[in-house]
Amino acid sequence: MIEAQEVNFAYRRGEPVLHDISCSIADGESLALLGHNGSGKTTLTRLFMALDHPRSGQVLIDGNNIEKCEPADLADKIGYVFQNPDLQILEDTVFDEVAYGLKNKELSEENIKHQVELALEAMGLSEFADIYPRSLSFGQKRRLGVAAALALNPRNLILDEITNGQDEQEKEMMMNYLKKLNTEKHITIILITHDMEIARKYTKRSLVLFDGDLVFDGATEKLFDGIKDLAPWGLTQPPLAKLGAVFGINALETAAFCNGLELKGAEVK
Amino acid sequence: MRITAFTQLILVLAVTAWVFLLPIPAVATLLALELVLLLYIKHDRMTMAAIGALTVFTGMMIVLQLLFGSSLYISLTGGLRMFVMTTAFLDLLAATKIQDIAQALVEKFHMPCEYAFMLTTALRFVPDFLADSANTLDAQSCRGYSNRGNVLKRLYAYLAVVKPLVMRAIAKSDTLALSMELKGFGANTYKNMQPQTLKSLDYIVLLLIIVLSSFPFWQKFIMK
Repeated sequence: MIEAQEVNFAYRRGEPVLHDISCSIADGESLALLGHNGSGKTTLTRLFMALDHPRSGQVLIDGNNIEKCEPADLADKIGYVFQNPDLQILEDTVFDEVAYGLKNKELSEENIKHQVELALEAMGLSEFADIYPRSLSFGQKRRLGVAAALALNPRNLILDEITNGQDEQEKEMMMNYLKKLNTEKHITIILITHDMEIARKYTKRSLVLFDGDLVFDGATEKLFDGIKDLAPWGLTQPPLAKLGAVFGINALETAAFCNGLELKGAEVK
Repeated sequence: MRITAFTQLILVLAVTAWVFLLPIPAVATLLALELVLLLYIKHDRMTMAAIGALTVFTGMMIVLQLLFGSSLYISLTGGLRMFVMTTAFLDLLAATKIQDIAQALVEKFHMPCEYAFMLTTALRFVPDFLADSANTLDAQSCRGYSNRGNVLKRLYAYLAVVKPLVMRAIAKSDTLALSMELKGFGANTYKNMQPQTLKSLDYIVLLLIIVLSSFPFWQKFIMK
């Protein structure tokens, strides 16, 4: 479980980025962290990973205050995939890149090989194992970042804008795999995204940050009811939710309605 | 009223010469003046960090000189000279836009525009490089690498970060070169800018530079 208790944070004195954030994320949740650019989404998750520490308040992982921890201490609890995949690449082959974290854990060669292969397969990168990682496409580099985090078998995954730069097919493949991890292995998924459709489709709970304040904490289907005006928070309703509202579907049934539409679309294909 | 980039560049070059020409108390006074000027122009976190880093680096240089057998006086004056020269450069960067420095280098010093651009771009890359380096270190630690421990261990951890940073810098410079070409970068780039004409304050400063730079000659004259 990840908890934030009255967390305040500022990179510079007098310029607060997060104000009194309190929330808790239970094991096995799928959660979207939404908000406009600069609202504090990435900063909040950096606090969860001990990349930064709050100025006041506390962050607890499994009930333990992580004030004295550094990210390496949490690496096997939380997997973090950064926005920019280029800055994460440290090794010369895709295989070694995924194996990097496992080598730090000093696992046996056999174990490392097994876990790397599983992670590469999950992200559809097995055929690129011996390739120089920088020569991959942007979307493939993103998946490589996810594979590197997955290889460590964390119980929580924080994914920062991972669907950016991916085509629809790659996006769907990756998100379906993450959904499977969430439902079958109960891995907590925290998705930072600007893609409202991805948030609507793949997460059950949403947190909305606006200028460093937590302004919404609740079910994603309640947030995306197709009616609520999200513009003041710098967000928009996903297109399918808007469509549901046009047909006068009850707010709580919108998700089911939208999923129905998608199903019918698939049948037409 | 401000002095032009040309005068500032001459001043920086002159300071480099003064640290060897002027007596040590004068060099120390110069340092105090430079620091006051720097903090007057800019007193943000970056400036304080730059002064801090420079102090640490100077300290290391002094210790190294002592270790290699130099006397305490030589080591201290060597450190002081380096500090003064670098602070003059920091003053220049704090007081002048990089674009103006490039223009002065091309217009007044007749440096080829490609070299002037290269010089100024290298300076512009420094903050980017630092940010990238911090991000890469973060990515490394999120994957279980702890850089707790002694200096050697930290240094070794940093070596792993150097490669991705260099690769990224190359990719960035490639994109920048292409973008500059598309924007028509060339010999006329700096000529089309507003020319930097010298004003009375520039002439006063230049005169002062000549007077101070000829110190060894008129010192002998006064002594007689």
